[in-house]
Amino acid sequence: MDPVTGKTIAVNVNGDQYEREVEARQLLVHFLRDDLELTGTHIGCDTGNCGACTVIYDGTAIKSCMLLAIQADGARIDTVEGLASDGELHPLQRAFSETHALQCGYCTPGMLMSAKHLLDNNPEPTQHEVRRALQGNICRCTGYWNIVEAVLAASKGEA
Amino acid sequence: MTETVTPTEALVVEETETRPGFIGQSVPRKEDRRLVQGEGIFIDDMKRHGMGFVHFVRSPYAHARIVSVDVSKALELDGVYGTLTGDEVAIQTDPYFELTVPPGNEIKDYCLAVGKAHYMGEPVAAVVAATRDLARDAAELVEVEYEPLPVLVDPERAQDADAPVIHEDPGSNVVWSGLFSWGEIESAMAEADHVVRIQRLHFDRFSSTPLECSGGLVEFDRPTGQWHIYSNNQFPGFAAIMMAPALRTGIDKLRFISHDIGGAFGNKICTHPQLTACCLLARKLKRPVQWTEWRTEQHMTNTHGNERVFLDVEVPVKADGTMLGFRCRAIDDCGAYPRYEPLGCIIWSQVTPGMYRWRHIEIDFTQICTNKSPVGPNRGYSRMQHLWFTERVIDIVAHELDLDPVEVRKRNYIRSDEMPYETPNGCVYDSGDYSKMLDMALELIGYGVLEERRAEAAERGKLLGLGIGSTLDSGTNNFGQSQLLNPELQFSGNNEVATIKLDLLGEVVITLGTVPQGQGHETVASQVAAEILGCTPDDIHVRVGHDTYWNSHSGFSGTYASQFAVTGLGAVKGAAEKLAEEMRRLAAAVLGCPADDIELAGGMARMRDNREAALPFMALGAIINVNNAGLPEDLDVTLNARYVYRPPFQVPDKERKFGNLTLTYASQIHACLVEVDPETGAYEIVNYAAVDDCGKRIHPQIVEGQVHGATAQAIGAATHETFAYDEDGNLLTPNFYDYHVPHALDMPPLHAGYLESPSPFTAYGAKGMGEGGGAGIHAVCAALQDAMRAAGNQIVHDSCNPPWRVWEMLQDPESTRRLVSVEERR
Amino acid sequence: MLLRQVEYARAESVADAVRLLGENSNARPLAGGQTLVNVMKARAASPDVLVDLNGLDELKGIRTTPAGGLELGSMVTYTEMVESEDVGDFRPRLAEVTSTIADVQVRNRGTLGGNLCSNDPTNHLPPLMVAMGAEMTIAGSSGERTVPAEDFFLGVYLTAVEPDELLTKVTLPPPGGGDGFAAVTIGREGTCIVNAAAVVHDGEARLAIGCVSAVPVVVRASSEPEAAAAAVTTADFDPPTDVHASAGYRRRLAEVLARRAVQQAIGVG
Repeated sequence: MDPVTGKTIAVNVNGDQYEREVEARQLLVHFLRDDLELTGTHIGCDTGNCGACTVIYDGTAIKSCMLLAIQADGARIDTVEGLASDGELHPLQRAFSETHALQCGYCTPGMLMSAKHLLDNNPEPTQHEVRRALQGNICRCTGYWNIVEAVLAASKGEA
Repeated sequence: MTETVTPTEALVVEETETRPGFIGQSVPRKEDRRLVQGEGIFIDDMKRHGMGFVHFVRSPYAHARIVSVDVSKALELDGVYGTLTGDEVAIQTDPYFELTVPPGNEIKDYCLAVGKAHYMGEPVAAVVAATRDLARDAAELVEVEYEPLPVLVDPERAQDADAPVIHEDPGSNVVWSGLFSWGEIESAMAEADHVVRIQRLHFDRFSSTPLECSGGLVEFDRPTGQWHIYSNNQFPGFAAIMMAPALRTGIDKLRFISHDIGGAFGNKICTHPQLTACCLLARKLKRPVQWTEWRTEQHMTNTHGNERVFLDVEVPVKADGTMLGFRCRAIDDCGAYPRYEPLGCIIWSQVTPGMYRWRHIEIDFTQICTNKSPVGPNRGYSRMQHLWFTERVIDIVAHELDLDPVEVRKRNYIRSDEMPYETPNGCVYDSGDYSKMLDMALELIGYGVLEERRAEAAERGKLLGLGIGSTLDSGTNNFGQSQLLNPELQFSGNNEVATIKLDLLGEVVITLGTVPQGQGHETVASQVAAEILGCTPDDIHVRVGHDTYWNSHSGFSGTYASQFAVTGLGAVKGAAEKLAEEMRRLAAAVLGCPADDIELAGGMARMRDNREAALPFMALGAIINVNNAGLPEDLDVTLNARYVYRPPFQVPDKERKFGNLTLTYASQIHACLVEVDPETGAYEIVNYAAVDDCGKRIHPQIVEGQVHGATAQAIGAATHETFAYDEDGNLLTPNFYDYHVPHALDMPPLHAGYLESPSPFTAYGAKGMGEGGGAGIHAVCAALQDAMRAAGNQIVHDSCNPPWRVWEMLQDPESTRRLVSVEERR
Repeated sequence: MLLRQVEYARAESVADAVRLLGENSNARPLAGGQTLVNVMKARAASPDVLVDLNGLDELKGIRTTPAGGLELGSMVTYTEMVESEDVGDFRPRLAEVTSTIADVQVRNRGTLGGNLCSNDPTNHLPPLMVAMGAEMTIAGSSGERTVPAEDFFLGVYLTAVEPDELLTKVTLPPPGGGDGFAAVTIGREGTCIVNAAAVVHDGEARLAIGCVSAVPVVVRASSEPEAAAAAVTTADFDPPTDVHASAGYRRRLAEVLARRAVQQAIGVG
């Protein structure tokens, strides 16, 4: 392939197929937010530290601010908008609300995707494993304690 | 991982009526449904047709003359809509109103640098383009010529004769200075058995760095001159007071709208400069203008918490450990522009004695400018810095006089039977039982087995330390305290507004004047209203966010200063009661009985003695809105009530700097166990307890969330978070890579406890809370000092102690020891 | 946060990647992007062409070697290293250290090759590779060559890989004795302030100290922990002073962490 400044990419996001033209320099997070108008995935920093932009990319949790949209051609991406189905909240979403694991809600989509990735791969995590799984998601409101409780509750089917 | 312990014995100071219903219940949050689905509307989510994206060109120098700004190359780039420079700003706007006295009030503060850059990152020009990327590209093409000037970063040098002067118009770096003196410090000194002297205590610069950065989307309506400012500014009342005169327009011409906000913690109060620039650009370019701040920009320029140095501290103490008072000099560094300052120069005096009974207090307080980021009222604003100081004093005095830190606190704490307690400067602490809270915290931390744990840690080569941090969260300001700084200011009291209506189809709708950023205002407001109206919180719709077009706000509206439970809920209560009263009168008119015979219950207005005679809310709404023929002529009912809550304040005594400055005082006492690795200075918080008393908790889970959050922020501030500058004014921690905030693995086990000492001054006995007062910082400092007893008896004198600082103290105990001395008087 | 204009090409083979890198003097390989994309966001460096290596299966995979060592493709991710049975069997310390790099999301994308070739002085893997005596295989237009780890790291962000070359694999010799690693980080499992890797074999310790110089500092000592600390004390390096640590503090940490790494390697830490 010869270098290009842009390309039409095909992505599947939450089960929906999209085709869009992107500039090579566009970050995946901006593509999701600005081009696909899926604004649930958030931006909280500019050095890849905060995790607010976490999505699940071909089955793994990644920070969408460090992937170019053009790299995602052909990929399957899952964002927070795909968690609930038919108006029913995902157990993690219910658990977050019941345990007061969100205050301002800005880190929440990223937290939910990291938590989902954890539970998809490790259905019965220990508290320490939950904390390690969320190490890449910064929260300034909650101090993480309730978030960890929420993920544990969801894993035990308590939500 | 967390435990909630509520003491089982009765702890209510006053009898309160048993209320059925929702107050005191942790009802599900209304906000959650949209937020967990990523459907919150945050400022960067908003789009407008044809909008241009702003990028600010920022000074790379901390202090420099701006020789020229050339935007021509930027304008040539395809897709660039236009630019704004300091020259235009100086013509189109007036400098922002300065709160301080002469000569500080001569400071010229504009939305872009005019003539000079005063801190690294100060915006010098703005570019607007069709996409974010183009705006960024174009910004690089703006050519600015600078003449660097000498830089001032050391607050203790700011008043030197040869210090660089930040603002030429006042000609001095002093923003404000004054002497606070209550009681008789000289006679206290004479009476003392010991005088403990501490040369220097330093509260570091940090901030709560909300995850969502600031932002705005501004539209200008040319025919009417109306600006629509969508933003996440948390105190639109203040922004309007700053922006309207600057833009030479009326207050109502600046419509502020907010929706969901991703945390603010005081950092989204002083965004009026950026919003002003957006207003000018929207008008100039005839299109909506969108601004999103980046993380690096937030760290460099918007905003830091106050940095404060306490010098020459003297503490007279009796032999039995009773502390009589203190005297010191304080220098507060507000960065390059005061803005909300110098309010920080008085706000600390809401908690002058901290939690303690000393009566003789003197502080010589000076606030100065430096070439650093301007400060903003970061969570704990000014009280936190002062309370850290009082806690360090208590802890250091106990340390030096070999007194038990628990006993010393209990001996000196204000007692619950002294409440309400008038402090030396006339503030009134409403209620609280600090000794009891301390006992709870010690129980939770395992105080009884402390020495065992210490010995066990020593076997592993670690130093274990226990620290106590006691703090107050004063809430609901009396803005009259601003007159103690500047008698010319026309601000006093406080207020908040709520509007409530019963709609055509029976829906109850509340609009708040507050600007929530995660504190659950929609939920809590609905609990209060539901109880009054006899329905459930689900029956009540609270509009999301804030909009000045709703006319449900006033001069002080916003969310800051730990006051929602008092001011916001006070307004909701007042509005709901007005509505309830009208509903009863309307129902009485329809049912043909006296209004006193009507009760609101079960979603109905019904006769108390004949429940069959009932009108559902929908009927009432329909009658007033579309079916009102036949109503009595003198029936004054609109079912649309607006209420302004006003706390009972007087203007304080300007001579004596005396008077009640805050309505409520929530309190927190934390205890913390640290294990220090003496070889590396690295340490771990191995156990943590937090006890909170904010009076009646309207929604206990939300209160707990605030305690957690404040604790986590305090831990970050205590262990790593600092905005450090080099001598050229470069910020060394401009992003989350170098400015380490706590992550999930950094958090200690947390044991929480609660006490409810109702406030006698508020409707529900609730107190504002949320800022937390920095208890975690005080506790960690004390714990480190305790741990180092065995290693050199160091004194902790900075608020932020990363591993390198602990290591330096371990290497050189003398460097800290020489800061402290004890004079024996008898 | 917003990158400059750039061209993008997805390499179809190592040869294709080398060709693309050779055709443009300001072309850079794109591996996990966990460093490069951030650099581009800050506009601290802006390549003209990004050559995406993520489609190159020939750079993936972890295998044991006939000699009893381990061969890792340069594009294996941190997560793959952590979860690899072979790594767990042969060099468990490598898996353990890699599992403390940043966070799950970064580990799911970041690569061994990216970590080594970016040679940020605070990275975990360069000192570990040097201590383990790894061999780096580099492919260029004129073929392949191997460079021992000790000669691979040349300066801050600079390695022996030329602009038109690619690191293709890293080969670790069979473990001789034990491996150890110790670090003081900014926050739990955060960025390293100082780190030390130690590999012990036949009474000898080979140490590499990270974060104190442009490249890992190699120190040799007996496998007696105090001897390791003493060897670091007299080693020739000039640590930087920054907001996280002074030069003096870094020096002292290097001594302590060297001792702890050796203790861990010999099984007493």
